[in-house]
Amino acid sequence: MTAKKIRNQFADTMLEIGKNDPDLVVMVGDISHGILQTFAKACPGRYYNVGICEAEIISMAAGMASIGLYPVAHTIAPFLLERAYEQIKLDFCYHGLHGNIVTVGGTFDYSNLGVTHHCYCDFALIKSLPNTQYLFPGTAQEFDILFKQAYRNELLTVYRVPEHPHMQEISASAIKVGKGVKIADGKDLTIVVTGTQLKHAVEAKKALSAGGWDVEIIYIHSIRPFDAEMVRESVQKTRRVLVVEEHNVVGGLNEDVLRAVYNVRDVQFHAQGLRSFVHSYGSYNDLCESVGLSPNGIVRSVQEHFKKG
Amino acid sequence: MVLNKAIRRRIVDMTVEGRDGHIPSAFSIVDIINYLFSHVLKFDAKNPKWADRDYFILSKGHGCLALYPVLHEKGFITDNDIKLFCKAGGILGEHPDFTKVPGAEASTGSLGHGLPFGTGIALGHRIKGMSNRIFILVGDGECHEGSVWEAANVGRNQKLGNLCVIVDWNSSAAQLMPFDNLSEKWAAFGWNVQVVDGHSEEELGKAVRAIEFQSVGVPSVILAKTVKGKGVPLLEGHGPWHHRIPNAEEYKAIMEALS
Repeated sequence: MTAKKIRNQFADTMLEIGKNDPDLVVMVGDISHGILQTFAKACPGRYYNVGICEAEIISMAAGMASIGLYPVAHTIAPFLLERAYEQIKLDFCYHGLHGNIVTVGGTFDYSNLGVTHHCYCDFALIKSLPNTQYLFPGTAQEFDILFKQAYRNELLTVYRVPEHPHMQEISASAIKVGKGVKIADGKDLTIVVTGTQLKHAVEAKKALSAGGWDVEIIYIHSIRPFDAEMVRESVQKTRRVLVVEEHNVVGGLNEDVLRAVYNVRDVQFHAQGLRSFVHSYGSYNDLCESVGLSPNGIVRSVQEHFKKG
Repeated sequence: MVLNKAIRRRIVDMTVEGRDGHIPSAFSIVDIINYLFSHVLKFDAKNPKWADRDYFILSKGHGCLALYPVLHEKGFITDNDIKLFCKAGGILGEHPDFTKVPGAEASTGSLGHGLPFGTGIALGHRIKGMSNRIFILVGDGECHEGSVWEAANVGRNQKLGNLCVIVDWNSSAAQLMPFDNLSEKWAAFGWNVQVVDGHSEEELGKAVRAIEFQSVGVPSVILAKTVKGKGVPLLEGHGPWHHRIPNAEEYKAIMEALS
């Protein structure tokens, strides 16, 4: 498993697609400008470092989509998705227009930059709009495959590009928009996990097995559309489900999981996510530890919220 | 002199029948819209998505009662569409809906969206190697929105010479922000600025003809001095008529003024 930065893969994928698809246009808000120069040179007139004006970038992308182009808007998550939310809602979704928004700096990837640069309500924001998809690729390979599957459909697709790949090997053929990935089989507890947290869930499984827990892991890169069927089948077997996500528990993946299992009897459930702003500083891993989104945190969560027998 | 009296009467009738509408806002811009569709824009009403058409976006969507009668007269929409304004089953609401109304190039209503959206259309046509012209009508009050100025900044820096903004400068903005120097503001953003009487076809025509539309060039703005409610003294100005339906007596007085 290579540790290729997913953001670098974003640039490589733009280059590969852009050479063959004259309708692909990339607009950035002064982010990733250096790594996109290969695309800019190979695809003249289709790369724009527009400026520090995220609302304008989103509206402009929608205008381009209205005449048949396939725009990609890219900058830091909170500025594109939260500051420019009305532009997403009205200029893309109300118009029923397709397009692509690729973000970096999701959750607290910019750990030392503070709450202004965090973004942990975006699943909820985007899922609640019609005509949208939300994809969260956890490796370079996943980004490449998912982007190629989704970028030219009729929906607005948001791609959250995390700074830290989850580093787990997943067969290319298993990576499909709308499909979960079974990472490990187990019979006592289902962990539904998304993004970089997959790495932590895999480590937690090892620790939990020493305590007698046989954990099944379902990995979700496709937040919307969501593979409810895979989750339901697993929980029908385990009757226990822990959702681990770098997102506010309100509106998060855990709510999709609850909807998927609502008619399964006697299910124990807990959501390990965020419940407020994260004011602390340090590395990404430090912040993960501070909010329980770490191998230790997952183990503790299982011990506190689930009973066997 | 009051132009387009018949269209103005239709605006009043639609408001009364639909039980909703912004008559003074529509009267402020109806002469501009009718002039553009009658003398400037390339379009095919039977094929509204014709690739070589010029674009017109009504960014101040609450002025749509000036747009709908013109779209009707030019053949984009039907008698029945007009009858069903603001009624169940109709396609015409109090703001134009891109997904429903032929000839509406953008869904507007929330102010400050039409110009940013239009910059994408303008740049997109350059990318596609096409020479379509893009006209966007914004309100002077709408120019309070920061998104207008993000788009103005980008429009100039991306050299969107195929873009012409028309500002309905009826002094609504000055009700709240009296420092109303729109000419200096647009000039400061690097746009070509012209100021005209927005109720004069002669001046509007002269201004449009003065613009050299180019795929790469300086974008243009026409600041159209207008009167809110123009044509009916009862409605003119910034009083209670912004979003009001006339009663029977008022209706009679308005129609007499427009006879």
